[in-house]
Amino acid sequence: MHELDLLMNGFVTLASNPLALLLALVGVALGIFIGALPGLTATMGVAILLPFTFGMDPVSGLLMISGVFFGGVYGGSVTAILLRIPGTPAAAATAMDGFELTRKGMAGVALGTATLSSFLGGTASIIVLIFLAPILAGFALKFSASESFALAVFGLSIIASISGRSVIKGLIAGFLGLLIATVGMDPMDGFPRFTGGYTELFNVPFIPVMIGLFAAAEAFKTLEDPKVRLGMAAALGRIIPEWATFRRLLGTVARSTGLGVAIGIIPGAGADIAAYVAYNEAKRFSKTPENYGKGELAGVAACESGANGCTGGALLTMLTLGIPGDAVTAVMLGALTLQGLQPGPLLFKEHAELVFTLFAGMLFCYVAMLVIGLGSLRFMGRVLQMPKSVLTPVILLLCIVGTYAINNSLFDIGIMLAAGVAGYFMQKWDFPASPVVLALIMGPMAEANFRRALSLSGGSYDFLYTRPITVVLLTIAILTLFLPLVKRWRSHRAETRQTGAASSLNQA
Amino acid sequence: MKVSTRLTRTVLTAGLSAGMLFAGAATITGGALAAEYPAKPVELIVPYAAGGGTDLVARAFADAAKKQLPQSMGVVNKTGGGGAVGLTEIMAARPDGYKIGMGTVEITLLPHMGVARFTVDDFTPIARLNAEPSAITVKADAPWKTVEEFLEHAKANPGKVRIGNSGTGAIWHLAAEALEEKTGTTFNHVPFDGANPAVTSLLGGHIEAVSVSPAEVSSQLAAGQLRMLAVMAEQRSKTFPDVPTLKEKGVDLSVATWRGIVVPKKTPAAVVDTLRTASKAAAEDQAFRDQLAKMNLTWAYADGPEFGQVMQKDNAFFKDLMTKLGMAK
Repeated sequence: MHELDLLMNGFVTLASNPLALLLALVGVALGIFIGALPGLTATMGVAILLPFTFGMDPVSGLLMISGVFFGGVYGGSVTAILLRIPGTPAAAATAMDGFELTRKGMAGVALGTATLSSFLGGTASIIVLIFLAPILAGFALKFSASESFALAVFGLSIIASISGRSVIKGLIAGFLGLLIATVGMDPMDGFPRFTGGYTELFNVPFIPVMIGLFAAAEAFKTLEDPKVRLGMAAALGRIIPEWATFRRLLGTVARSTGLGVAIGIIPGAGADIAAYVAYNEAKRFSKTPENYGKGELAGVAACESGANGCTGGALLTMLTLGIPGDAVTAVMLGALTLQGLQPGPLLFKEHAELVFTLFAGMLFCYVAMLVIGLGSLRFMGRVLQMPKSVLTPVILLLCIVGTYAINNSLFDIGIMLAAGVAGYFMQKWDFPASPVVLALIMGPMAEANFRRALSLSGGSYDFLYTRPITVVLLTIAILTLFLPLVKRWRSHRAETRQTGAASSLNQA
Repeated sequence: MKVSTRLTRTVLTAGLSAGMLFAGAATITGGALAAEYPAKPVELIVPYAAGGGTDLVARAFADAAKKQLPQSMGVVNKTGGGGAVGLTEIMAARPDGYKIGMGTVEITLLPHMGVARFTVDDFTPIARLNAEPSAITVKADAPWKTVEEFLEHAKANPGKVRIGNSGTGAIWHLAAEALEEKTGTTFNHVPFDGANPAVTSLLGGHIEAVSVSPAEVSSQLAAGQLRMLAVMAEQRSKTFPDVPTLKEKGVDLSVATWRGIVVPKKTPAAVVDTLRTASKAAAEDQAFRDQLAKMNLTWAYADGPEFGQVMQKDNAFFKDLMTKLGMAK
């Protein structure tokens, strides 16, 4: 194994560079912190840190940035589970079951599972990156507009499985999200739609809407409740889940990681899509799908391992092809070029030693994330013990500051608060918020890529059934949408038949 | 509890009144203070996201400007609207030199599309820092070895050659449209969400060519996956001296994006002069030039008046082109 030798050498080189290890640690801690705050995303953290790495040696600088990237993807889950504040769009998926677990007093185990799953998903994706990078690189290029469109349609079909109690209400929420997603610049012709002349509305204000729907709405709701404390278990209790419990999650973690890596490789698809897809598939393969949305540990495990599995996939295309799959790796591409390293096919040949030292460092980053994560959970869990009179204003303040930080825009704060009010009433009337977020992620992606695919094919609709990946993804999407309905119809028919048979027996 | 509240309130009131006094003083003695400009940190507005090309130029410049000005320069990203939000903010800023901006070629594009409240005349140019030409790049295994062959093929198959760009109405789209106009060809323009996805699509063989800058395809060129046929510049690129310009091939066309420091129109002359001197020194700083070179960005310093001419020329060119294309409103 040539790669294994190189990796071992990488570890040796890394061990002799304590500064790089220290900076990686700092990066991970910073990333977790940034990820946990609503509005501050890994992209922003990486971009802000970039100028500081100018003066560092390549390994230290890049490891610090990787640390922020990994920590940022994971950090979003902590506040999502404890307070229903998704620090990142991917964490909005984690919040679905994570916060329900907190309500049940199982915050500790939920956090522990999220941390372990993030670690396993991330580490596995880096290992895939190390050993299979050249083989998988071609996969990204197979993805054209029609494939991305099919992926987005599949993503939209997930609404059926995250709708909670009522599929109809879920679909209504999803369509609401799609409607909001049409606001802004037309993705193909650059024509402003429904903007009312506001330049601020040219881009769909996605993150403010998400923060409002989840965090602000939850804060408004707690204002209603006269109790002083949140009423959840004061102490976190057990953090590391029992082996017997976690062993049952391993299959979910493995599947989600695989999905995460694949989605990470696809250009333009990132951790948010991976988290939702992983959640959907976990529910599909689960023996108890009815528990999802009511506090299912496997739901948390799926989202977190899927989101972190994305990191290796995104890095894979960036390093091997020189093409960033998402915003974070776009900044990292800049960081690499700044260090005089040209990402792309030649990187592995010309700088193999450095690349494998980086890989070794990335594995170290994930171990650091596990240690820092598990170590700080008990401290972060104290948040739940805060009296509501302090916690609720703090959450609202965080929402406002975080929203402002995205674009330095007061307008976004208005949008966030409006979404908060809408989210409050949606909760009251039992409309789920996740379909709105999902539609906001997938809607623009589906529209832009459908129209781009049409433009590429010269106006022909043939791409819908002549391209194999497109066909497979569209078929899965149709199955996802209609299988639950068919299942329900069949069980309903079986029931009536049984009762029918039973009554005829009685008559006899 | 009560004491602390009162204390906070006192501190807040004190801070507020001090701030108001300060602001008042600044407006009254604005003219007199110009001589001592800058007396507080300068804000540099970047109309694009942190980590992108424009942001990187801005941050490298702010770093270099530290040595030239008694006060520091902080970068603030105001994104949205394809640059319109940030550029509007620069246009509407108080013209005292404390809020300056990173102007981009979009200053000469957005006003014609009817999506901006500013025009090119709302800005006073300080210094151009960077410029990147458009280039025609195809896959390495494409049948066209020269730009002539490529254009001939496009002429013979109107509407069949797909050229990827970074978005409708963005600079690389207009570059391809201008090429079409000059050569009498018809392309199929495919907009992507930025230059990178367009390059990915080209690598995958889903489109025939891209019109993005050389820097955006440099790593794939180095690896021999792509081939650059021509650059739309006056001179050949220093990084790719073997690639001819369109001019050499008899097509009189040069289209480039640029980034530079601009301030609102009514900024006092003394402030403009201070900024121009400082920008010149910062731009000529070797560290700044090295930083740009490392990022594959082309150093293209031009002083205020010269930069202004480029802006006016581009504005007229794009206005004409977009009117012909029916994109102007």
